[in-house]
Amino acid sequence: MPLILASAASAAGYVFPNDLHVYWGLMIVLYPYITGIVAGAFIVSSLYHVFHVQSLRPVAQFSLLFALAFLVCAALPLLVHLGQPGRALSMFLTPNPSSAMAGFGYFYLAYAALLVLEIFFIYRPVLVLRQQAATGGRRLFYGVLAVGSDNLSAEALAMDRRIVGVLAGLGIPMACVLHGYVGFIFGGIKANPLWATPLMPVIFLLSACVSGIAGVIVAYVVLSKMTGRQPDRACLRTALRFLWGFFLVTFALEMLEIFSQAYMATSHWQTLRSLLWGPLFNSYWVWQVTVFSVIPLALLGYLSLQRVSATVFRVLAPLAAVMALLQVFLMRWNVVIGGQLISRSGRGAVYYDPGWLDREGILLSAVILLLPVAVLYGLGRILPLWPDAGEVSEGAPATGSLNLSSVESVKQDSGEEFA
Amino acid sequence: MDELERIREEIDLDRRRFVKKVLGGVIGGSLLLVLPAGAVKVAQQISGLAAGTDPVDPDRKFAFVIDITGCIGCGYCCVADKNEFQVPDGYYRTWVERYVIDDQDNVHVDAPRGGLDGYATARLDIPHPVRDTFFVPKLCNMCEKPSCVQVCPVGATFRTADGFVLIDRQRCLGCSYCVQACPYSVRFIGPESRVAEKCTWCYHRLAQGLRPACVEACPVQARKFGDLNDRESEVYRLLHEPNVISVLKPEMGNEPSLHYLGLRREVV
Amino acid sequence: MQPDFKSSTHLHVIRLALTIAGVLVAGILLRQALLPAGYGTSGRYRPGAELDEANRTVRNLANDACLACHPLIRKLHLAGTHATVSCEICHGPGVDHVQDGKLAGAMPTVAGDVIGPVCLRCHGQVARLRPLDSIRMVSASDHLTGHRVRADNDCDQCHHVHAPMKWVREAREMVGLAAEPEGGRPWTN
Repeated sequence: MPLILASAASAAGYVFPNDLHVYWGLMIVLYPYITGIVAGAFIVSSLYHVFHVQSLRPVAQFSLLFALAFLVCAALPLLVHLGQPGRALSMFLTPNPSSAMAGFGYFYLAYAALLVLEIFFIYRPVLVLRQQAATGGRRLFYGVLAVGSDNLSAEALAMDRRIVGVLAGLGIPMACVLHGYVGFIFGGIKANPLWATPLMPVIFLLSACVSGIAGVIVAYVVLSKMTGRQPDRACLRTALRFLWGFFLVTFALEMLEIFSQAYMATSHWQTLRSLLWGPLFNSYWVWQVTVFSVIPLALLGYLSLQRVSATVFRVLAPLAAVMALLQVFLMRWNVVIGGQLISRSGRGAVYYDPGWLDREGILLSAVILLLPVAVLYGLGRILPLWPDAGEVSEGAPATGSLNLSSVESVKQDSGEEFA
Repeated sequence: MDELERIREEIDLDRRRFVKKVLGGVIGGSLLLVLPAGAVKVAQQISGLAAGTDPVDPDRKFAFVIDITGCIGCGYCCVADKNEFQVPDGYYRTWVERYVIDDQDNVHVDAPRGGLDGYATARLDIPHPVRDTFFVPKLCNMCEKPSCVQVCPVGATFRTADGFVLIDRQRCLGCSYCVQACPYSVRFIGPESRVAEKCTWCYHRLAQGLRPACVEACPVQARKFGDLNDRESEVYRLLHEPNVISVLKPEMGNEPSLHYLGLRREVV
Repeated sequence: MQPDFKSSTHLHVIRLALTIAGVLVAGILLRQALLPAGYGTSGRYRPGAELDEANRTVRNLANDACLACHPLIRKLHLAGTHATVSCEICHGPGVDHVQDGKLAGAMPTVAGDVIGPVCLRCHGQVARLRPLDSIRMVSASDHLTGHRVRADNDCDQCHHVHAPMKWVREAREMVGLAAEPEGGRPWTN
């Protein structure tokens, strides 16, 4: 039985007969979106672990688990998308060095390994203490996670700290490669005037930071609410400032790309214009640019530059972050789907609506997008999402990375579970 | 022999019926019809290739030439192609575009069903008098620097030593990156096979010494195929004489082996 | 130094390093085991992939094959102006007719009232799209009325499909008209 791989609602002008199909659907929108969140959340953690932005301490560990939860799900949309998912391992067997896509498997694995290692070294004291406090299967489980070592000596912890520093430092270029290279998958396609720009990897990377930071902010606020804690105001303010900065640069580059194309007005601009003022008008100009860029940028600027009351901050901060998340999603949509709506005939465009129940339909996409939340819940059952209850209060003095005193307090509430 | 007798009788019977019609005056006027002069060219075979010979021969450099000034838009190449590969409906290994240019220099292009049904009727939606019309058949460009091969993550699409860009249907992931990368939109993901598919210039026919199916089907020899290392071949002659000849989208840098005789600037 | 730890300071790092090394080695070995035989020897593709493509079934057998078994059609077809017309565009791919040297099925023929559209795909003039010197083009109705023939005549009532001018020429000889003017005349519409 033929599976619906692609569908196009209708076409305008002359479209090459094979261009009527939109082969990269919602799954390929989700894939750079999810990997972007991974890379961005990792950057948040590295801001603390490498650049010592102390106020981000409350979310430094959480953002790693947050990244891991999304990383676990990042390959899923690709597998759903592939015509022959059973052959996916060929990516590891015979990677074609000239293909921008071939490295994904290896990059992905290496990055996953790095993330897991960093999480291990940060959480090792917790694992050891939880093992010692537990009995039976639970004890065995934490024992395996702690690779059978119980050594929490000052010497061992100092070594762990150094390793975390190295891993976090290594992770920055790797996160950039992981995501910049996703941008190059599109940016390297010369046949597509919307994609073919050297700015594409940069825009992808920066907007990945936007979505990652925004995702961490939203999750931090929501989870704090759910567990009855007060989110750390200083931490949120810092995160919002970084969000604002990354968002501003991203938006500037996005506009620069369009402006340069319009100004140079090559034959490609004719095609791009018919796309941006055709099938993409609403999702690009109305939603991505106006509603979900200009408004959150204004909000973030206001929150970053003005002293605002706690109530206003509580409402506007998560709102701006949610809008930033949606902007990045729209940007992915407009790039991935938008690029396929222009025919290489240069004379026509396709209109596309994802079905609800297609293989790359809305329903399955929503499930995949919610899956990291479930994974995060599972991770929260195993590891504490926050450093500890006592220190995540407003205005708490930021301390260095894990030390024995915090380990002790972890020990005290090690029975506590997330949610 | 009996069969031959039977056919001969049948033809004779046809002739007798026809003579009756002529004598009855039904078809009298037809006698004023005038025949074209000149012999009809007989198709040339590809020399040196037959079943059993190694299909990969680096000493050959095959080229495809399409004569835009000759194509009559009958679409039988598309029919032959669909029959040869049992191409699923709505997907095209080759197609024929119709270009109509009106006296305001507007270019109107269409290719309903990829030209499978031919172009027996005129376009009725053109507001100005038509100044010029022509047909452009499209197929794989067999690039010397193929984007599809460049981007295939697993080496499932590849270029053979004698210049054919082919797909390994056993190894293709169906990721459709090659579909995105091809500047000529000749690729698609088969709805049944769920792997990438495209025109192969009938590599399998060539291995049997047969010309590509579309070349065989073209009644006016607008599609020409041959070996550029064979100086006697028509494609060699066409490409080395001062003809108006070009490739599609040369700015892409893919260096197609598919050439168009009489290519017009309107063609993309 | 706290003496109460059972494990050494570096145990977890050593174990992790060994695990990573083990996974890497296993991965490399697994890759070697699963790699298609001879991969990369003739380029970055599976050797034999081009042979798979070369072994695809030929479905259109080409005119020579058809005419080898149909000698009279051969005589008619090759002598007429339709010599370059492929048998299989009207009759369908030969593989449906002959397989392994045996008759596999009857081929469809196009005749009578369905033949018009088939002829007009090449000869139709109504679209005014073709180079005038490439092919004889007619408007079906003008052609019929111009030759004072009944308007519902089918093409194959006057034109043998394999040798379109055969009967016309014979009829012309029958009534004693010249075969055709010297050097021909530009086709008129």
